[in-house]
Amino acid sequence: MTENSSFMSGLPELAILRLLQDQEMYGYEIVQAIAARTGAVVSPGEGVIYPLLHGLEKSGALKSRRKTVGGRSRVYYTLTAKGAKRLGSLSNRWSELNGAVEALLAGGALGVR
Amino acid sequence: MGFDDLRERLLRGGVAPRHVRRYLRELHEHLDDLTAQQRRAGYEGEDAAIRARARLGSDDELASAMLAQKQFRSWAARAPWLVFVILPPVVAVAIGMVFIGSLGLAGKYFGFLGTHAPSSPHWFQLLAADIVAACNLTAVPLSAILFVAIAARQRLKLIWPLIASLLLLLLLVQSKADFAAPGKSHLSIGLGLALLPWTKIRDNWFQIGPQYVAILLPVLWLWRRRLAKV
Repeated sequence: MTENSSFMSGLPELAILRLLQDQEMYGYEIVQAIAARTGAVVSPGEGVIYPLLHGLEKSGALKSRRKTVGGRSRVYYTLTAKGAKRLGSLSNRWSELNGAVEALLAGGALGVR
Repeated sequence: MGFDDLRERLLRGGVAPRHVRRYLRELHEHLDDLTAQQRRAGYEGEDAAIRARARLGSDDELASAMLAQKQFRSWAARAPWLVFVILPPVVAVAIGMVFIGSLGLAGKYFGFLGTHAPSSPHWFQLLAADIVAACNLTAVPLSAILFVAIAARQRLKLIWPLIASLLLLLLLVQSKADFAAPGKSHLSIGLGLALLPWTKIRDNWFQIGPQYVAILLPVLWLWRRRLAKV
């Protein structure tokens, strides 16, 4: 993350789960994809993604396997059913938050008596 | 540009060695990809390597990210009292049961144990003494090595493997098997929890000494190794 604030907590997890919903990927690919999709607004300090990936794997949200592609051996991660469920709940939470922030930024009458 | 400092910080922070190994291996692979990316971007040699390492994150960032994941802490770091105080007696009892229990079974098989059993012959008593001594000179020191290895890998304080070694020493070097006298049906297996009487140590130092040394040697080795590093 560009800022390591509690406000951003949960966002890297959401990004990882969403990316792995489409295809299996390895760490470097995930970091590059996050940076590309968010215009580098969300750009993790690259190595710190692994503890997160390992944590998600331990909680059952991801599975991993070592695979050799093009002569390079790497650990590929895939989403599990539990991970898909977690993605659903995180997506809802962030959509609500996003709506709330948009409403806040739109301004207008407060309607507070 | 290795990860030796990071490895030390993670191990000292209590992260289990297998999780440290996996993390560092993936970081190495990631660093290779980043270095290749920098080369494609036109940077060469050391320059590409330095830029790649910077993008990977500082040791502080990398260590903090892993240390924040509490589930990767080892049992030895989380509960050293469990591993080095509770586990040694369990290991001691298990070793004692295997060695002395097998002697008991052998005694029963040959008919030296039982209501109408004759007293065990001299050769069996010698064999029993040799097996107990062999246990004290092999299985017990190997157990001590195991606890020292755990402490060394996890960079734990020396006091923990020392406690484990002393517990093994107190529990197992004291173990003894008393074979029933004729007409008695039981086999008595004892595990002592007190130092042998000084007179017994003095009279049998050539047997007991090597056993004490074999058990305490691994922890002495760790102590010397740590001193050498300092």
